[in-house]
Amino acid sequence: MGFGQFLAAPEIKLKLITYRDVFQDSAKESSRFGEEYEKLSAVIRLDPKDISKLAIKEGDTVFVKNGSGKVIVKAMKSGYEEPHPGIAYMVNGPWSNALVPDDTGGTGVPKFKDIEATVQSAKGGKVTGILDIF
Amino acid sequence: MVVCLSNNYYVCTGCALLCDDIEVELEGSSLVKVHSACRKGVARMKGCETPLECAVNGKSTDTDTAIKEAARILSNAENPLIFGHGNSSSQAQRKAIAIARKTGAYLDDTSSFCQGPIIEAILQGKLRTCTLDEVKDRADVIVFWGADPSSSHPRHMSRYSYFPRGKERQRGWEEDRTAICIDVRKSDTAEICGNNGTYIIPPGEDAEFMDALVSGLSNKVPKTSFDFDKKRILELTNILKKAKFGVIFAGLGLVYSLKDLEPLFALMDKLNSVSSFHLIPMVGQYNMRGSNHNIFEETGYVNRVKFGTEVLHGPEYSVVEALKEKAVDAALIIGSDPLSSLPLSVARYLTEIPLITIDPCQTLTSSKSDVTIPCALAGVESGGTAIRMDGVEVEMKKIIETDRLSDEEILTRILEAL
Ligand code: SF4
Repeated sequence: MGFGQFLAAPEIKLKLITYRDVFQDSAKESSRFGEEYEKLSAVIRLDPKDISKLAIKEGDTVFVKNGSGKVIVKAMKSGYEEPHPGIAYMVNGPWSNALVPDDTGGTGVPKFKDIEATVQSAKGGKVTGILDIF
Repeated sequence: MVVCLSNNYYVCTGCALLCDDIEVELEGSSLVKVHSACRKGVARMKGCETPLECAVNGKSTDTDTAIKEAARILSNAENPLIFGHGNSSSQAQRKAIAIARKTGAYLDDTSSFCQGPIIEAILQGKLRTCTLDEVKDRADVIVFWGADPSSSHPRHMSRYSYFPRGKERQRGWEEDRTAICIDVRKSDTAEICGNNGTYIIPPGEDAEFMDALVSGLSNKVPKTSFDFDKKRILELTNILKKAKFGVIFAGLGLVYSLKDLEPLFALMDKLNSVSSFHLIPMVGQYNMRGSNHNIFEETGYVNRVKFGTEVLHGPEYSVVEALKEKAVDAALIIGSDPLSSLPLSVARYLTEIPLITIDPCQTLTSSKSDVTIPCALAGVESGGTAIRMDGVEVEMKKIIETDRLSDEEILTRILEAL
């Protein structure tokens, strides 16, 4: 699938924060190649305003990319009461790690919880499979 | 036949809480039911659906051949990397250190990009700490900072930190304990702490919030560049001041947002001049703290070392920098999946060098490995000791027999074959 076909959809810049989730973690214990793990990991949680800006519906797939990598994941509302436009959340896992920059300033610690990325509708594109992240 | 092993308690290795009250039911030699563990623990103890196969270059083989090939790769490498350790018993970790010493390897663990600095500070006596049992019995003010135990350590709050009635906390959490959550988002733990107990701060501003708390505790006006409600900060500092036995649980959110630990040291010093506060790191993998203790005992550092004529230490010997700089030329990964847990931009290099994985289960890393050696599942198929997040040593018992060797045995045999 070429990248050009996504150009028309609105694109927004976001700050990504990663977090842990017990359901996703349990799914990993059972099988990290399983459907459940993908379903719970390949998700970006957005503010409803950002969902409108992207001209998508909850549950649609989006392209998340930056200089380090790109993945297609499902867009969901975060469900937080407090609005957080411009900030999105992804559970810690191979999909979020595809976007963590290698720039550490020599400290040995990547910025797992402070990632800049752009998000855009994937127009029905399929979620990136775990073995296709490479 | 179902045999219920009541009064036989086992240890869960799902996280560094190492819950030691687990009961199981066996059918023949397989574990069919796990009682008292959380969802994650049950999944861990029942084992994965995709066990690792013993293979060299993608072809199934016997353990002896795979061990020989692993030893060959490590002896041929000039600068091998030995990484993982958080999901190994302390006995296996000591063998891994011995292999690193013998091969002049880079040795690092997951704490290198999470709780390492905090555990180092605790081992060096720079941060006051306590045990989870003391928290259960005595803590009245409990601060979860950048930590979400409801999601990461599901039984943390019910076994130790909030809900239990401990010796000096007989009236229960409603009256006897105050739980505070400081985070960048309203986590599941924040829901439990309630609106009054939850402090949502902007990402990356933890150091400034710590400074504001120090000001509040020193009876100065607590200012923040993000204009956090001063009244609320003063409410919080009042609670902290009155604590008889306070504890901060430091999560990854806190660790990642601090450039160095100075603001945390300053806050802990101030807290201990007005009340009594302890800190416990929210360690993830079940024996990551053990790895830090063992490497510290052997080298004086908790992680990020390179063996040679002398032991070198520093960020340049961290797994992240070593891979980024392509400084290593082979890797042995034990009980860890760096291709999942490290930034892909960094971890991708692992697929370019000879790679050995020891794990009970298939992982992304094993799928790219030249040599894969399955090991027994610790706490279920093999025993040993591990160190809980608060530094307490816990003994794990074997529950069921398996043909698979323990990681300790595999590492011992690799060491012998070198
Ligand atoms: S909290 Fe951790 S140690 Fe306890 S049962 Fe759950 S996964 Fe296992």
